[in-house]
Amino acid sequence: MNAAPVLHGWLAEFATADQVQAAAGRVRQAGYTRWDVFAPWPIRGLDDAMGLRRSPVGWFVFAGGALGLAAGMAMVWFMNQHDYPLAVGGKPMFSTWFALPIAFELAILFGAMAAVLAMLALNRLPRWHHPLLQTPRFARATDDRFFLVIESADPQFAADRTRQFLESLECVHVEAVWEEGPCDT
Amino acid sequence: MPDTGSFWIRARQVCAAVGIAAGAAAGIGWARDPGEFGFSYLLAFMFFLSLGLGALFLVMLHHLVDAGWSVPIRRVLEHLAMLAPALALLFVPIAIVAPQVYPWLAMADHPDAALESKRWFLNPAFFYARALAYFAIWSVLAWRLRAWSLRQDRSGAAECTRRMRRWSAAGMFLFAITVTLAAIDWMQSLQHHWSSTIYGVLFFAGSVWATLAWIFLAAAILRLIGPLREVVHARQFHDIGVLLLAFTLFYAYIHFSQYFLIWTAHIPEETFWYAQRGAGGWRGIGLWIVFGHFLAPFLLLLRIDAKQSMALMLPLCGWALLMHYLELAYHIMPVLRPDGFRITGLDMACLLAIDGALGAIFALFMSRHPAYPIRDPRLQEALAGAGTPPVSAPETAAEDA
Repeated sequence: MNAAPVLHGWLAEFATADQVQAAAGRVRQAGYTRWDVFAPWPIRGLDDAMGLRRSPVGWFVFAGGALGLAAGMAMVWFMNQHDYPLAVGGKPMFSTWFALPIAFELAILFGAMAAVLAMLALNRLPRWHHPLLQTPRFARATDDRFFLVIESADPQFAADRTRQFLESLECVHVEAVWEEGPCDT
Repeated sequence: MPDTGSFWIRARQVCAAVGIAAGAAAGIGWARDPGEFGFSYLLAFMFFLSLGLGALFLVMLHHLVDAGWSVPIRRVLEHLAMLAPALALLFVPIAIVAPQVYPWLAMADHPDAALESKRWFLNPAFFYARALAYFAIWSVLAWRLRAWSLRQDRSGAAECTRRMRRWSAAGMFLFAITVTLAAIDWMQSLQHHWSSTIYGVLFFAGSVWATLAWIFLAAAILRLIGPLREVVHARQFHDIGVLLLAFTLFYAYIHFSQYFLIWTAHIPEETFWYAQRGAGGWRGIGLWIVFGHFLAPFLLLLRIDAKQSMALMLPLCGWALLMHYLELAYHIMPVLRPDGFRITGLDMACLLAIDGALGAIFALFMSRHPAYPIRDPRLQEALAGAGTPPVSAPETAAEDA
């Protein structure tokens, strides 16, 4: 009646930041691409050890800012020049000078919104659930333990070999993470 | 620390030779036309004054926010700020030719209602007394801040840091007031009918921007030739670059505010200043400032990794100093040369004369004292994780690798 549980990946638990950082370097060298590290606090140099590329959020912020600037200019132009021309103080109906404060504020607003939305989208948030959350030991990732997961989606993933590889690292525990928990069956 | 004693002796000699030769050339220009000399000299003087004041600000800011990263570059800034007494001496030619440069100084008998109402401020006695007060305040602040810093080199006592912090807390207020008034006295009052309440902030913003470009170049050179090799790393360059980007924006914000308010209010006694600078060759200079002083540096500095790319930053910082000079010329020179900007031999002579004099003194400072605060309690903090700049944002860790 129940489908066989699908393996999400292997989760290795580490006692110290140095150990997980060293392990990250080994996993990267081994050529894995679908894996991640979880730690209670930012570890300096971990990004380099993991070989993470720079976050692309900045590009979304730049696009959002440029869009906001254009939107502000267009809005002021539409209102003052096009829809309801209103001469104030002998000024032209439209000028970049008086549109600039509005356009500047909208650039900030759109840029900030783009930053939040792009961050959420790139992190695949919001989501209801993640397979990792059903392993009780994983709760300590917010307290005093460090975790490294290699997902089964990785092209190099092989159930036994990957497990043995993780066990060869300086970890305290390795366990399987399943796609669907017992409650769903 | 590598021995660079002979380098500084050579630098001092070269600077002194350049300063004396250019000073002689400037002296001939003075004899020939005191008015023209006055403007050329004022422009050069304000350029170097702005670097000294920017350095004083950065040193005080360092103490006020209890910064760690900027410890390795602080001594160089302390030396730069300590040029204030020399700048006071270099102000003497301006004090002498002032009546030929500032029209209101020579207008004692003129019936000028607008000037009459400003006479309590714009009168010769108060003008010279203020100048004395500015230099006294800047010199004492720079002197005390460096003296406590040098004392810490010997004792390593935390008490020195607390003393510098106290001097900075009081000094920041004095700095804000004196810089505002100095910008009004020496630049804005060239056209005394004009007034802009934001003018002091505008001068301050441009000054700190140029100083950040200067310290980036200085740190890169001093790392290359030795004195800062062990202490200045990617993190310092990154943080200077971040501040440079911030001040690029801050400067543009302030100058836009000034222009925008004058443009909107449209009062003739304010608009004439920009009308004059929108005519002839100055119109093009204004556009250079919009695009070269703000837009190009802003776009180039945006990327997080741009601040550590020496191939980008070194030319950009040189460009920033050039733009700062152009910006000061935009404020000062239209009075003398209404038809457009040009650089004369006299401009260059004044620039090199002051540069040589200050460079020689700076080289003397560098040869006498350690190149960075060797026993500052926060030095280790500045060096921790020196190779890895703080650009790896924690949020990226949540992404799938």
